[in-house]
Amino acid sequence: MATTHASQQRPPLWRDAGVLKWVVQIIVLVLVIGVFWFLSTVAADSLAAGGIEVDYDWLDGPANIQLSEGISTVPATMWEALRSAASNTLRVAIAGIFAATILGTVIGLARLSTNWVAQKAASVYIETLRNIPVLVLILLAAAILGSLPDLEGPEEGATDTRFWFDISKRGLALPRVFYADGFYQFLALMAVFSVGIVFARRQLQAKQDREGGDHKVGLKVAGITLVAAVIAWFANPVMGFLGSVFGGLSDAWGSIPRPAMQLVLSALAIGAAALFIKNFLDSRRTPAGLAKLTDDDYFRMIFAGVGALIACVMIWVVVPGLIGDLFVDGLRDLIQWFADKFGNGRGNRPIDAMRPTLSTGRFANYGPEGLTMTPFFAALFFGLVLYTASFIAEIVRGGVLAVPKGQTEAAAALGLSRMQSLRKVILPQAFRVIMPPLGNQYLNITKNTSLAIAVGMSDLVQIGQTIYNKNNQTLAVFGLFMAFYLTCSLTISFIVNNINRRLAIVER
Amino acid sequence: MTDITMPPPVDELAPEPPPSGPVVWARENLFSSWGNALQTFFFLFISWQILSWLLGKLVAEERNWDAVLTNSRTFFTFNYPLEQFARMWFSLGALIVAVGITLIAFGFEPRVRTSKIVQSTIGLGAAVAVIGVLTPVSGSWRLGLIAVGVAIGVVAWLAGRALPDGQTLPFWSLLVGFAVFVMVLVWIVPWGQNEFLDGEYIDEPGTVNITTKQPWTVMMGLLLGSFFGARALARVVPRRILQLAMIVWWVMGPAFLLFLVLRDPAFDWGYVLAVDIPIALAFGLGGGALLYWLTEPVRGEIARIVGALLLGTAALTWILAFFGVVSMLQKIRLSILFLALFALAAATFAGERSVRLRYAGIWMGFVALTHWLITGINTPSTLDIAAPPFIGGFALTLTIAYYVMLASFPIGALMALARTSTLPIFRILSTTYIEVVRGIPLITVLFFFSIMVPLFLPGEMELSELAAIFIGYTLFSGAYMAENIRGGLQSIRKGQFEAADALGLTTAQRTAFIVLPQALRVSIPNLVGQAIATFKETSLIAIVGGFDLLRVGNQTVASQPAFLGQSLTALFFVSFVYWVFAYSMSRASRSLEEKLGVGSR
Amino acid sequence: MSKVIDAGMSDELAAREDMIVCRGVKKWFGDFQALRGVDLTVKDREVMVVLGPSGSGKSTLIRCINRLEVHQEGDIIVDGVELSNDVRNIDKIRSEVGMVFQQFNLFPHLTVLDNVTLAPIWVRKRPKAEAEATAMQLLERVGIPEQAAKFPGQLSGGQQQRVAIARSLAMEPKIMLFDEPTSALDPEMISEVLDVMKGLAQSGMTMVCVTHEMGFAREVADRIVFMESGDVVEIGTPEHFFTNPTEDRTKLFLSQIL
Repeated sequence: MATTHASQQRPPLWRDAGVLKWVVQIIVLVLVIGVFWFLSTVAADSLAAGGIEVDYDWLDGPANIQLSEGISTVPATMWEALRSAASNTLRVAIAGIFAATILGTVIGLARLSTNWVAQKAASVYIETLRNIPVLVLILLAAAILGSLPDLEGPEEGATDTRFWFDISKRGLALPRVFYADGFYQFLALMAVFSVGIVFARRQLQAKQDREGGDHKVGLKVAGITLVAAVIAWFANPVMGFLGSVFGGLSDAWGSIPRPAMQLVLSALAIGAAALFIKNFLDSRRTPAGLAKLTDDDYFRMIFAGVGALIACVMIWVVVPGLIGDLFVDGLRDLIQWFADKFGNGRGNRPIDAMRPTLSTGRFANYGPEGLTMTPFFAALFFGLVLYTASFIAEIVRGGVLAVPKGQTEAAAALGLSRMQSLRKVILPQAFRVIMPPLGNQYLNITKNTSLAIAVGMSDLVQIGQTIYNKNNQTLAVFGLFMAFYLTCSLTISFIVNNINRRLAIVER
Repeated sequence: MTDITMPPPVDELAPEPPPSGPVVWARENLFSSWGNALQTFFFLFISWQILSWLLGKLVAEERNWDAVLTNSRTFFTFNYPLEQFARMWFSLGALIVAVGITLIAFGFEPRVRTSKIVQSTIGLGAAVAVIGVLTPVSGSWRLGLIAVGVAIGVVAWLAGRALPDGQTLPFWSLLVGFAVFVMVLVWIVPWGQNEFLDGEYIDEPGTVNITTKQPWTVMMGLLLGSFFGARALARVVPRRILQLAMIVWWVMGPAFLLFLVLRDPAFDWGYVLAVDIPIALAFGLGGGALLYWLTEPVRGEIARIVGALLLGTAALTWILAFFGVVSMLQKIRLSILFLALFALAAATFAGERSVRLRYAGIWMGFVALTHWLITGINTPSTLDIAAPPFIGGFALTLTIAYYVMLASFPIGALMALARTSTLPIFRILSTTYIEVVRGIPLITVLFFFSIMVPLFLPGEMELSELAAIFIGYTLFSGAYMAENIRGGLQSIRKGQFEAADALGLTTAQRTAFIVLPQALRVSIPNLVGQAIATFKETSLIAIVGGFDLLRVGNQTVASQPAFLGQSLTALFFVSFVYWVFAYSMSRASRSLEEKLGVGSR
Repeated sequence: MSKVIDAGMSDELAAREDMIVCRGVKKWFGDFQALRGVDLTVKDREVMVVLGPSGSGKSTLIRCINRLEVHQEGDIIVDGVELSNDVRNIDKIRSEVGMVFQQFNLFPHLTVLDNVTLAPIWVRKRPKAEAEATAMQLLERVGIPEQAAKFPGQLSGGQQQRVAIARSLAMEPKIMLFDEPTSALDPEMISEVLDVMKGLAQSGMTMVCVTHEMGFAREVADRIVFMESGDVVEIGTPEHFFTNPTEDRTKLFLSQIL
């Protein structure tokens, strides 16, 4: 060993870069926390002056709110109202995501087409719609729907007016495809079959790899799946026994004592932190012993520890009740919900369809049979879809153009057909470019559903606003908004990141 | 060896021109294969259907376009009083002059190919003809439109044949053309005279009012005058100085117009002379002297200590004021804070005498402008308007969009720097801020601020709802700005940081001289994109209570007795205005991108 | 740890002042150890060339001397000032030690002249006119005064590297570090950079060069250091090093390279 000095001389504290760095950070952190604390005390004081305590007890209180549509239009409690409103938000968002993706892809590909008319039509669409604010588009859609003729009621005596499609001042009606009673049993049976299908696919693939040539594996697997689906379609009542299984499970889960659940959860949190620290130290271990840790390394470990501590404090001190509600009762209810979907004797058709009808009340309206959109929903939906599709079209076009021309040429030089090169070479690469901005657009649709308030559709924000106008629980309601939208955005970015990771692996 | 066989003249070897003509074109672009032909018919059919439906909506019987004509002033300035409208014109004129000078200062004088103009004109003719065919109007109108369209197309085509290839037009000829076009619109086209006079609706034939004609003529004169004037100026004054002047103008000028011209504060001159000016002088001269002293290179650490002390003082004044111990003019507290920031940066910008003088000079200019603005904002307005906001309609839309971009820029830059820094707490704080804000919808942020900001304010302070919304929008926009700037920061190679470190630059100097200038240049296209998005999203303040362009169209116009229920008409116009601005911004950004060559890197 | 063979510090050299002293310098990147206890002394006005296969820690060593990387154990003393977390020392050392990078790292948004004057004006607080005059002299010295108004992107690689050298010299450093200055250059441009470096060596600058240019090493170096996997294997005069190396690892390296 050469001369090893025990340590470098440390400079005085006020000149030590390592210390200064942390002092500055901690001062800023304290300032930020201080400002937040200050603002929240001020807000709480001024709320308290108006006689309002911020809490969530009002969720179980009576609602007296009328929703434009949804699971329950006249909910009993505030919680039910919010749930119904949130489901409206999700309905618009999901329907919008699907429709905008399809429309946007078609337009994006049209803009890439060699056909002059397709190209120009797509360009005009994109350049027009993406330069008009989405709120203006939504209001335009609402105004146009409002200018349509009103619905005419069925003639006297004619009871059964069924039709395929209608659009009027009252909204829009299409035939509806829906999950019938047997759907969950059908899914369960398909899950059982899928084991066999996967096995068959492996066998076929192995055979093709062994013998070479094209055995049309995909086609054969599709055929088997189709047969399985037909069998499951008729045989689904077999799975009815699952109902009692889930029922038992639900009872068992509900009987778990709450302290036990708290104990398990805090053990999990501590265990996760401990595992993190252990893995971290292991990653820093070298043949020559533990590498010297930097400030950042210590910070990460401290952060993991503090995180576990905060989790424990939350579990035992701050919200012990929520833990019980969420992890014991909530999961019990979830399992029970599954149990209800299976029950013996439910059965036959998994999927059914209905044509819309007219209902005859004081005013003519669309009956509950079809897939109907209220004019509010339709305005929001069309505004969002038309607007977002123009962005998705540009993303799709950009993604395809981002694949270098050399790739197509290389594929052609290898003798791949046009379809093959598209499927195996171009699309996987284009998809990788398209995915992240596409995820952003999905997020935008979800967030833009909050513009429902402009056309009077009862989405989460509109109902939330109605509630805090009634009971002044502004902070509590905004907390719910944040929780809901952050959950949505985290979910979407989680899905997108996962897909992206998989695509990245495919590429390498 | 003197007689070398000459190669044959070039034109003998020249290849045959490729086959051309409309039939060949159609075969290649429309019917090259069965699929192609199918696409042609499909998209023709769809476009036909949509266009004729839309045009039908535009000319339908219940559309009363007088609603738009009559309310054109309401759309753009809402209820700004007519007697004081000269101020509006002054502001618009100032903006137009600034645009003219800016074009010259930044060398934006693209030459335009005549072939491109001819092409667009033929396209315009075709569009008019197609509109004639598709619109459900009476036969004579239809024939007239088709004839006009065909005539435009044919004339443009003939002109294109007559002009030599590759000819270009200078940019000023386009400007002149634009001015002439506006003059024709104002002086010749018989729009009809529509207005509300003392609440009564007047509708007479003829061209527009003289009160519209005169100012617009002046405006166009200003546009051309400023453009040519600046061209002459640019020969005398160096470009760099012109550019700097225009940047300063675009940062400070709009505030000047907004608060001192449009609001017209009624200054209490006695108070101003006795209090405001002495305070400004004290800060300007005293602070300037202090900064001049601090920027001497030997004072490195003293400047930091003085800065920290001033910062502490500023914080203390706020805390004490909140608890009512010491009352002090807000202006003084702000000035102490700004002086603290200038003192903290003094060591970074220390140098020789001229540098120090310039630094002190910048401070004095800064004090003069901020004090003037603060006084202007705090003085009551002489403007006689029923509702508190003194500006509305499209002017409000533009103002909010512009100021949100301007104010969110420092937030975004700071957050982006924090997010890319090596200091973990800064990184975590800024990442949390950015991701949380980006995860929630703008409308909830606006609602939150319009409701909560009054609660957060200490007792005696008041803030208009619009200001609260503006703060919320700025904080929201800052998160997106941060992500755009971060993209630029990440494009800077590690070597740039290392080279700056190796030269001994401090972190602040490295950031100011090396990192930010490069990062911002890379982020320009994204920032323009965000500017367009911000401009469009400003429409959301219609929901939370501002009278912007959209609210005027959707509510104000449709509730006038003369135009009851004309909201669809007004909305068509509103979307057209938004479209024109957003589209031209995106076109401009595309040409800017090409000019900078950033997009291709 | 191997015993370092140190052959060839002449008495004259040994009598000079120490410019850089490394004692037991260790450095890890995560769990990879880049320096395994380096002991090294660079004397005043000495030109030291560091050789070694890629990944042997040469670059890491000179980046530690400039504190672009922070070493984790051991001492580095530059011109009598110990490198530590002391804010004052870091700035002092960085402005006294110049560094030239493999990738030039010129600032692309500044002109050549601005590149050279930036640090003198803002770090040394020189008046602008004086800094520009010095910069022009330096640009003349590296042979490209006519390019002063251009941007780095408009120059060839060799010219860029010469600007980078001028930029470092503008800070009037006591020590110059070169991190493979010719590796990113086309062959025909290498000599123009090496010529500048030779001139610098003759003027009596203390230099530490990581390079693969054996000719340069043989001609200019006072001593050559051979490193492998984070260790200093052998130190010696060029004569000793190229004709009569002691260590097997050095012989192997030379046989592969020559």
